[in-house]
Amino acid sequence: MSLQTCWRCIARASCQPCPTRRPPQQLCTLYPASTAAFTTSPSLSALPPKKKAKSPMVEVNVKGAKKTFTKKKKKLQKVDRGKKPAVGERKALRKRVVLSNTNALEVEGLKDITAQSMIDDSLRGHVLAIPGPVVDQLRAVEAFKVTQGWPLFRRPSMLIRKDTLDMATEIENISLGIGDKTIRRVFVGERGSGKTTMLLQAMTMAFLKDWVVINIPQAQDLILAQTEYGPLPSTTPTLYTQRTYTASLLNAISRANPILQTLQLSQPPAENEIPIPVPPNISLSRLALLGAEDPEIAWPIFELLYRELTLPDRPPLLLCMDGLAHAMRNTHYISNTYQPIHAHQFTIIKWFLDHLSGTSPLPNAGLVLASTSESNSPVVPALKLALGQLEGNSAVRKDPFAKYDERVLGVFEGGGVEVKRMGGLSKEEARGLMEYWALSGVVRQRVDDGFVGEKWCLSGGGCVGELERAVVRMRV
Amino acid sequence: MASKLSWPLSSRWTIQCPKCHGEILRKRTFISTGSSRAIAAPPVNLTQNSPSNPQNARVVPASPSYFTGRPDSTDNYLNLLALLRRYQTLPTVAPAQAPRVAWRTVTQYRLLVGEPIRASKYHKVVEVLQRLNRIHPAVMPAPLKEAMEIYKRDIDPYAVTKRPNIIDADGRAYGVGRRKSSSAKVYLVQGEGEVLVNGKSINSAFGRIHDRESALWALKATGRMDKYNVWALVSGGGSTGQAEAITLGAAKALMVFEPALKPALRRAGCVTRDPRRVERKKPGHVKARKMPAWVKR
Repeated sequence: MSLQTCWRCIARASCQPCPTRRPPQQLCTLYPASTAAFTTSPSLSALPPKKKAKSPMVEVNVKGAKKTFTKKKKKLQKVDRGKKPAVGERKALRKRVVLSNTNALEVEGLKDITAQSMIDDSLRGHVLAIPGPVVDQLRAVEAFKVTQGWPLFRRPSMLIRKDTLDMATEIENISLGIGDKTIRRVFVGERGSGKTTMLLQAMTMAFLKDWVVINIPQAQDLILAQTEYGPLPSTTPTLYTQRTYTASLLNAISRANPILQTLQLSQPPAENEIPIPVPPNISLSRLALLGAEDPEIAWPIFELLYRELTLPDRPPLLLCMDGLAHAMRNTHYISNTYQPIHAHQFTIIKWFLDHLSGTSPLPNAGLVLASTSESNSPVVPALKLALGQLEGNSAVRKDPFAKYDERVLGVFEGGGVEVKRMGGLSKEEARGLMEYWALSGVVRQRVDDGFVGEKWCLSGGGCVGELERAVVRMRV
Repeated sequence: MASKLSWPLSSRWTIQCPKCHGEILRKRTFISTGSSRAIAAPPVNLTQNSPSNPQNARVVPASPSYFTGRPDSTDNYLNLLALLRRYQTLPTVAPAQAPRVAWRTVTQYRLLVGEPIRASKYHKVVEVLQRLNRIHPAVMPAPLKEAMEIYKRDIDPYAVTKRPNIIDADGRAYGVGRRKSSSAKVYLVQGEGEVLVNGKSINSAFGRIHDRESALWALKATGRMDKYNVWALVSGGGSTGQAEAITLGAAKALMVFEPALKPALRRAGCVTRDPRRVERKKPGHVKARKMPAWVKR
């Protein structure tokens, strides 16, 4: 019996779908072969997905078992029937500061902070509530931040820690005219150590003492190119104003400082200074509102207002800025030659930094406070160097290969800027804070020495933000 | 016939001078019995049958075991048996009370004697040695000790004891912990509960609170968190591994201060090192176990 075998290739001609030898006329094509090449190695892939077992009883599609045409099902488009948020609504929600929570327990015996009690040493480690009017003022200057834990409690309160008492004493002394007239200070410290809250506490006490507070809540807002800008005529190097921001700053100043209603314009401004007529004896609050209403004249009004505030017999000033590192670098704005503009060329930043560096002194005394940030902070080697040296950190040396911004170093060259490192709370202060939390109902555990010590330890030695994270926010 | 003596002499051979019956060429460094006790063949009396050439001396094996092919090991074994016979009446202790000795393995012994001794034979030697080792240490004879010495390993693993951890002059205790590929050196000192990890505070070192808790778990589980200060140096691995390496190191250091806490720490899972590492990737797999997706063709 003869085999049906092709003698050339020793392959069965008919029954073998894949001959062992390729016919010679088949050339390589551009496209891959439709059949897979034969291989003896087992497949490395995972097993195919199991078919779903059909129930034997149900016969599918009996009538039209052999359909020529199948109706294509139209894919149902998902129609979003939800109401879309209005323009700016989501941002407003994101930026909304909630200061009260009706679900939180009301703390019995919670005292308000007053101008008299703020320097009381015996209140160290106690939590005091911020009085209602001051809360409104603080809200007007945007002293409260969204990320802080205000929505957990019935009303905004603050812990009197050692640094708070020191600051209160300084504010008291400046008000009384004792000691240093102007204190210029930068707060540094690790993340969550209470630098921004320290600014808030300073503002609270300044409001209580009837100071005038001017706060730049976030320096980043001034450099992100999100607010309009324009050159200030006849300045070299060119300075730039941010009129909308200045107008809103004037609005905040006017609303936050009711004392400005009692102060009046000392003399009518020169004609070329303000393009609109200003009535004589206008209150400074009204003057600020004039600038707030018309961004065109906001910067001249701001200058005029500031000049009025530095006249003799005016209240002391508190100037604050958060996120200092942002004000120490090139902004996202560009000049007419398409070069990035340095932050120091913007009038508001320059005005603040002149006070921080001591170039423009505060004649009526006051405080100039700035705080750095650890979570939202660009790398500015010059600022790091200057602050490290001012802090007395001998490990901070000038790197010969790094580029340092001379303008930034210049701010701190004049001396007189204190660098205050915010450390952790002491155990007594931590205990006072935790007792307040327990009374507010956000801590259910027994606040005893063991609990306080453990959480103090976990928060890296009483770092207050971390303490809140460990005790209040993280509940296992 | 002078050439008879000039061949290279191995250590198994000695040249016996027919007159003095002594070894003349070299003193044997290897301990072997029998060469003086017995010889394979009696010497030739040269005075009676004087040879024509006095230089024509015979080469005589040193030991009668020469003809076994493994003379040294055989001699040593016979010596042990002789000692056992001699001292078998001495008082013994229970096997558990006998001093622990690490005997040479058969490979090590082969290398020592240079003979291809069989493992089964050497096993018998070890059995005798174990019997001899059971003789009460107080009455252990010196020659027996000397004879057993060659069978002991050069380095006694049972003599190596871990140096006990102590609190140093500055009041610090030290512990090393490892987990995954992290390794931590932890110093503990009595204090207020301050923690520094690589010179940073613990919240800078570990962003997650969970990691902080696990780093200090040994102290937390025993309620000692505010009693000790921790100073740790940790390297390698990720944050979880580093945190848990600190746990182990802190637990070891804590046991130096308070050894009674060991059961509590064991219950908290802080005593045993977790040996798990990253599982290796296999060929044909995407990761250690993951397979490529199934493709129809």
